[in-house]
Amino acid sequence: MTEDETILIIDDELQIRRLLEITLKASGYHTIASSNGKDGLVDAATHHPSAIILDLGLPDIDGQELLKKLREWYSKPVIVLSVRNSEADVVEALDNGANDYLSKPFRTGELLARIRAALRVGDDKSDTTCIEAGSLSIDLTSYTARKKGEILKLTATEFSLLALLARNSGRVLTHQYILKEVWGYGYTGQTQYLRVFVAQLRKKIEDNPAKPSLLITESGIGYRFGE
Amino acid sequence: MKKNGKLPKPNTLNRILISSRSGFSQYYASVIITGLAVLLCSPLSNSVHYHIVSYILLFVVLLLSTFLGVGPVLLAAALSALTWNFFFIPPHLTFHIDKMEDILIFGLFFIIALVSGVMTSRIRHQEMLAREREIRTNALFTLSRDLSGAGNIQEVIAIAVNKIWEQFGINAFFILQDGEGNLDSNARGTEIRHLTAIEKEMAESFFNKTDPDSKIKQGILPGNETMILLRGTRINPGIMLIKNSMKESEEEISFRETFTAQISNALEREFLGQLARKAQFLAESDRLYKTLFNTISHELRIPVAAIMGASDSILNVPAESSLQKELFSEIFTASRRLNRLIENLLNMSRLESGRISVKPDWHDINDLVNKVTGDLEDELRPFTLSIRIPDSMPPVFMDFGLMEQVLYNLLYNAAQYAPVASVIELKAASEGEYLLLELVDHGPGFSEADIPHLFEKFYRASGSKTGGLGLGLSIAKGFTEAHRGTLIAGNHPDGGACFKLQIPSGKPEIQTFKAIKND
Repeated sequence: MTEDETILIIDDELQIRRLLEITLKASGYHTIASSNGKDGLVDAATHHPSAIILDLGLPDIDGQELLKKLREWYSKPVIVLSVRNSEADVVEALDNGANDYLSKPFRTGELLARIRAALRVGDDKSDTTCIEAGSLSIDLTSYTARKKGEILKLTATEFSLLALLARNSGRVLTHQYILKEVWGYGYTGQTQYLRVFVAQLRKKIEDNPAKPSLLITESGIGYRFGE
Repeated sequence: MKKNGKLPKPNTLNRILISSRSGFSQYYASVIITGLAVLLCSPLSNSVHYHIVSYILLFVVLLLSTFLGVGPVLLAAALSALTWNFFFIPPHLTFHIDKMEDILIFGLFFIIALVSGVMTSRIRHQEMLAREREIRTNALFTLSRDLSGAGNIQEVIAIAVNKIWEQFGINAFFILQDGEGNLDSNARGTEIRHLTAIEKEMAESFFNKTDPDSKIKQGILPGNETMILLRGTRINPGIMLIKNSMKESEEEISFRETFTAQISNALEREFLGQLARKAQFLAESDRLYKTLFNTISHELRIPVAAIMGASDSILNVPAESSLQKELFSEIFTASRRLNRLIENLLNMSRLESGRISVKPDWHDINDLVNKVTGDLEDELRPFTLSIRIPDSMPPVFMDFGLMEQVLYNLLYNAAQYAPVASVIELKAASEGEYLLLELVDHGPGFSEADIPHLFEKFYRASGSKTGGLGLGLSIAKGFTEAHRGTLIAGNHPDGGACFKLQIPSGKPEIQTFKAIKND
């Protein structure tokens, strides 16, 4: 656990703000809280937090707009808070540069895991050539994946899909992003493709394909590579 | 035109028509006036030439022709000619005529009487028509003036009934529609008359069958009442009923139609006004609903989220005593229940207001089942969950959020009623272009009396556990139906409750996983 990480919370709900502050402080983070978008922007500029937790429903500025403004100069992780049944907003926020999302009501464990993952993404991992997850190891240079030491027979597409998700381990990737990265621009919108490939890939890499622990579905949003 | 003994005031048109008829009184008048003229002329017979007398009498005949019919004028002419001949032409007191000029004058009486009589009666007929037209125009004018002053449908009907009575002496009744094409079961006129079943049926079939282009404008009811469709430009306000056995002239029919059209338009105007007011009211209530919905959902969710988060956080740190841990666990469980209740209430109100929009995409049924069983982990812990989803299960085109709620509610329901340590079975299958889900528990099942009511709002089956609103199943059914699917409940042959869900799964472009094995 990093001791000096400061997290900025931008949420207009006092109770949620306090809950987040208490939980994060208990886990050793420093926190700053803003109750509206304007203050949030100022706090982000003055304190340079390691990560920002941003509520999408702010009273003064639209959360998406605030996110775009932040992203003009702020490159560190942003996690958005959303309410139930607002997957479309989450996808939009992820497209606007948010790193992850949490929907209210959230579990504490989930919150901390997201923050840990987001902070880790901030570290430069571009030169990583080998990714380990459970009994799975992926070698990005030789395009091979092994499970319990045995080489898996993956097609080129399956490997690109796996490599993309594994490189962004812990982060949620939207359907459209994955389709664009793996299949190319012509395939955005083809979620059916993605479903079929993910199911196929799960059969090869998961211990129990029906209860996946590596390729996790974020319903209505995308996929996340589990840690 | 029908004469009606109950007329409150004399009918103007009738008055003219009566006066234009060559009645007995006219003959009487023509005899008296001719006689008087002859009497007045008799003293002149000695002082003036008898030809002058003939001019005077001819003048009288001409005069009579301006206000009497052809018959009385001819009678006057005959009387004048004969008396002139008898009393004034020498030899006096004989019908003998010597001179040719006297014979000519004698004949002239009849020719002048005939010509002037026919001419004036024709002029009078034209005049009568003009007056009739004027009266009709006036009637239409006062009708439209009075109708435009009417503030609501009742007033329009009252004015229409009154005017029809004045103009035609007919007691009219109106059967109006409710704005959605359904006719009222009462006919409204001077009094409200309840329609018999047969009348209502006939009126409805007449009203619904009469399309805008059809020439059929009338129908007959059993009581020999004529139904006349009230036509509007956008909607037909209803039917007018009149008791009318008279033959009408073309002109009268067209007048009556114009009259009816005026009433139709006034009724339609009121109807459209009513609809506009209704639409405005709906828009208002819709706005109010949205505000309430957003506020309530926000104001309830936030505190519950705070309670859930806080109690969950406490449970994550080592507790000082087992009592504390248990208490916090209770708070957490209660807040989850509250959260579920809020979601169900919000979902119910979304369903009730028709605000459900299905946003489907391709989803893996395994994902759906995993998400729901993950969320219900605590509730399902006492049971053995047997999930059977075939390997070849294709993706399903559905709204994940809605179907998640459906499965959540069904599984939660099973967890409430199945005996601890029993097996809950969940089976998925793809048949044709349908997704089938079957959920069977090994609990007591449903009593036969409960089965038809299970999906009703707030229905609690007999022997239900306390707690719960009885909304879960009705939401599940509502959301399934939003997918154009079906959800049925029953008892499994081997005992236990059984839910069967079926929704269209969409036509996958990729039929099976095998088809794209070698990409």
